[in-house]
Amino acid sequence: MSAKHTKFYLDKENRKWKGVCAGIADYTGVDVTIIRIGLVILTFVGGFPWTFIAYWVAAWLAPVKPRELAGETPEQTKFWQGVRASPARTVRDVRSRFREIDRRLAEVETYVTSSNSRLAREIEQLR
Amino acid sequence: MEEVIIPIIVVPILFIGLPWLVFHYITRWKTAATLTTDDERLMEELYDLARRLDDRMCSIERIMTAENPNWRQIACDPAATGIEDRRAAPEPRRIGL
Repeated sequence: MSAKHTKFYLDKENRKWKGVCAGIADYTGVDVTIIRIGLVILTFVGGFPWTFIAYWVAAWLAPVKPRELAGETPEQTKFWQGVRASPARTVRDVRSRFREIDRRLAEVETYVTSSNSRLAREIEQLR
Repeated sequence: MEEVIIPIIVVPILFIGLPWLVFHYITRWKTAATLTTDDERLMEELYDLARRLDDRMCSIERIMTAENPNWRQIACDPAATGIEDRRAAPEPRRIGL
């Protein structure tokens, strides 16, 4: 069973305390500093015990990020963040890329086939 | 009268309506948006494939442009451009031979 890319994990590599904030940042793609500041502000404006409880529950429930997911290139990380945000959009993205390739390939094909026929005509004229 | 009516309304709401609502959303959440590992793998593969094909397309187009800079117009409308003028374009550089 390989590790799933669309689950929430604690990010122990970039952690400050337990890795929940770093995990959220890794999951969503939002900068980790913004999430930390947001959590602190939320704690001060009235979420006092609840943010701590939520943090602890998350730290207790969520698994640590598996090692096979660690060696991702930045591009892969971005791709998976996109998938987690909206799988449907990612699929549409890939489909549009394939369509674009199809269109460009059709252009090349038209050129190659038409120049071949032109060449045949030229040879025909030389006879 | 009031004492009779209020429990009759509140009790069904609490014991039938609320669990119903909760389970309704739980079942919807369970059936929606679950990507299996296979789906993930397929998705990554397709994405990779698209990227690789894109790269290949780019290199092919580069080669075509080096060979004949206005191949696109010829491809768009072969009849209008007439016979391709190879004398105007510089002789393609040959590699080897």
